Amino acid sequence: MLADLPTLLFNTLIWGMATFLVAAGLTMIFGILHVLNFSHGGFFMIGAYVAHSLANWSSAMANIWGFLLASVITAAVIGAVGLVVDRAIFRRLAHVDGAYVLVATYALLLVCNGVVKLIWGLNVVSASPPPELFDVSFLGNLVLPHYSIFVIVAGLAVFLALEWLINMTSVGRLIQAIAIDPWMARLLGINVGLIYSATVIIGFALAGLAGGLLVANQSLSPDLAGIFIIQAFGVVIVGGMGSIRGAFLASLLLGLADSFGTALLPQMPGLFFFVALAAILLIRPRGLIASGRLS
Amino acid sequence: MSKLNRRAFLASGAGAALALSANPRIVVGQTNEPIRLGVVTPLSGPQEFIGSFVKNGAEVAVDLINKAGGVRGRPLALEFRDEKANPAAATTVARELLGMGINLQLGTIASTVALAYGPLMQAENGINLTCGAGSEKINHENYSPHVFRIGDGTYRMRAQARMMAEKFPDVTSWTGIIPDHEYGRTVWAIYVDGLLEFYPKITGKQPQIVDPIIVPYGSGDYRNFITQAARTEARGIVNATYGGDAATFFQQARPFGLFNNRILMDVANEFIVANALKTQVPKHWTGTHWYYGASASPIGESFYKAYVAKTGNKMPMGWAGEAQAAVAAYAAAIAKTGSTETKAIIEALKGLSYDTVTGARTIRAEDNQAIKDLEMIQIEPDASAADVGFKVSDYVKIPGAGVIEPATPGQAMVLRKSS
Repeated sequence: MLADLPTLLFNTLIWGMATFLVAAGLTMIFGILHVLNFSHGGFFMIGAYVAHSLANWSSAMANIWGFLLASVITAAVIGAVGLVVDRAIFRRLAHVDGAYVLVATYALLLVCNGVVKLIWGLNVVSASPPPELFDVSFLGNLVLPHYSIFVIVAGLAVFLALEWLINMTSVGRLIQAIAIDPWMARLLGINVGLIYSATVIIGFALAGLAGGLLVANQSLSPDLAGIFIIQAFGVVIVGGMGSIRGAFLASLLLGLADSFGTALLPQMPGLFFFVALAAILLIRPRGLIASGRLS
Repeated sequence: MSKLNRRAFLASGAGAALALSANPRIVVGQTNEPIRLGVVTPLSGPQEFIGSFVKNGAEVAVDLINKAGGVRGRPLALEFRDEKANPAAATTVARELLGMGINLQLGTIASTVALAYGPLMQAENGINLTCGAGSEKINHENYSPHVFRIGDGTYRMRAQARMMAEKFPDVTSWTGIIPDHEYGRTVWAIYVDGLLEFYPKITGKQPQIVDPIIVPYGSGDYRNFITQAARTEARGIVNATYGGDAATFFQQARPFGLFNNRILMDVANEFIVANALKTQVPKHWTGTHWYYGASASPIGESFYKAYVAKTGNKMPMGWAGEAQAAVAAYAAAIAKTGSTETKAIIEALKGLSYDTVTGARTIRAEDNQAIKDLEMIQIEPDASAADVGFKVSDYVKIPGAGVIEPATPGQAMVLRKSS
C-alpha cells in the first residue's frame, strides 16, 4: 500500500474537497438558523443542471474563465432561489418546532427532484471540463487529472473565503454574534432577520457554486441530489454542527478513512466512511470543533 | 311440471348473476369489450427512466395489435400502475389490479419486485410477465409457475462471455467493476461461469479471473476504485454499474486511461452512458434487450417506426422491446387458448413460440424462461455524429439456445468457479 500512498492521498483530497464544497452551505445554514436543510442536495443538483445548461447555450466551457463565470452565475441563481425559500418557508417556520422545518425541507427536496424532471428530463447527462482542465499530468506513477487539481484548489479557495468572511469582516462578526445569541443581538439593534436572510442566500449560493464547479465531476441525473448528501451530512456532523472549519477538517479525515479503507478492505467499499464517522462521534460526540455555533 | 314460483325465480336469478360476475369474460370472442392488461412498472422513483420505455413500448405494441384487428376480434387495453421499483408498492398496486379482475399483468423490471410477485400471483391467481428483471432466482430457486420472464435472463451474461471468447481470443485475463449489491455479484458470477466455459471451448485457453473491483452504489467519486482497477493485469473489464453510476465511473476513468488498452464489456447500459458522455464515451461493447438498428424482424421494423412516431425518440432502449414481447406473449397466448383465464393462459404460455421485435422466441415450459437471441452492440465515439457524438460500430447476435443454462426450477443455478 505504501507504493500507492501518493495516489490515496491525492484521491483523499479530491473526495474531501468535493464533499466540503457541497457541505459548506449546509453547515453555514445550520450554524446560524439551526436548520438541517434536507433540500441542500436538491439545490446542489439544480445548480449542476443550471451550469450544464449554461455550458450548452453559451461557450461557457470554451475556457476556464467561462467555466468559472458560469459557476458564479449559477451561485447567483441558486442564491436568489434561496431568498425565495427563506421568505416562503424558513421565515414562516421560524417559530415552530424544528421537526416541521425538517419535513418542510424534505418536501422541498422532492420539489427539486420534480423540477429537474420537468425541465431537464430523466436522461443521464454529463459535461466535459474546459480544455485547460481536460488533460492529465504525471508525477512518477501518480496520475494528476487537471480537473481534479482544480476541484482541490476550488475547495481550498471556498474554505479560505468563508474563513475570511466569518473571521475578518464586520459582516462575519455580526453573523457570529447572531449565531451565539440572537436575542442579545436584537437588543443591540442588529437586524437579525436581514442577517438570517443573508445567511440563507449565502448557503444556497454555496450549493449552486458547488453544483457549477463540480458539474464535470460526475454525471447528472435526477438522482444527483442524494449522491453527495450523505457524505455532506457526515462531514457536517463530524465537523461539529455549524462549524466551517470543522467541516473542512472532517471532509479530509473522512476522505482519508474512505481512501485507505477501500485499499485495505476492497470487498467492503464505503464501510470505513461510516466506521470513521461512528468512531469520531464516540470520542467527540459533539464533533471535532464542538462550538455548536458558526466558527 | 311444477310452476316456477317467485322464490325459485329470485334464487335462480341471483345464482346466474353470481356465476356471471365471478367469471365475466373467460371466453374471448363472446364480447367486443377490450381485454385489459395491467402494466405495473416504475412511473416514478429511481427507475422511472426505465419505466418510461416500458410504458411507451407497451402502448405502441397494443396500438399495433389493435390496428391489426385485436386478438380474436377484441382490442387490448392497458391499465397502468406505478410500482416505484418498490416491492411493497408493487404488490399493493398489483393486488388492486387483481381486485379489478385484471389477472394478466406485465412490466416488472426490478428483480426484488419480480421475486415478490411469485407468492402473490400464486395466491391471487394472477400472472406476471417480467420485462427485464435480471435475477437468476426468478426461474431457479424462487421459481413460480405464475411468473414468466419473457426476456433474456442472466444467460445474457454467458452470451457476452461467449462473444468475448469469439471476438477476442487473446484477451484471457478478466476483472469486473461490480456494484455492491446482490444483482451485481450475481452478474459477475455468471459472467465468470461463461468465461470458464467458452474460453477453453473456443480458444483452447484457460481464462485468468482477477478479483473484481466492488464499488458502492450511488457514489459521486469512483477514483479509488478506478486506480484499483488500473493496477490489475486484467486486459478485459466487465462493467455492471448502471445508469448515472456508470456514466460517472466512465467519466472519472477517462483521465486515468483505464479503458485505453483494455476490452470493455458493459453489461446492460445500452445507450445510457453513450448519450451522457457523447464524444467522450470509451469504445465498448454493451448488451441490449433489443437493438432497433438490427432489423431483426418485420415486427421490429414496424414497432420502431411506430415508437419513433409516438415518442420522437430515435434511440429507444431495449426495455421498450421487452414490453412489446410481453404484450405479444399475452396476445399469442389468448389467441391460442381463446381464454383470458389464468390457468389457460399459463398453459398457453408454457412452450409458446411467437414473434417479437427481436425475432422468434420460445418460452421454456419447465421454468417459464424465454429463449431468445442475445444482442450486443459496440459503441464508439464519433465526432461526426453531430446529434449524439457516438455511433454503433458493430452488432452481434448469439442464439439463446446455445448459451442458456439448464432449467432447474426450484433449485439454485450451478456455476463454474475459478480455482
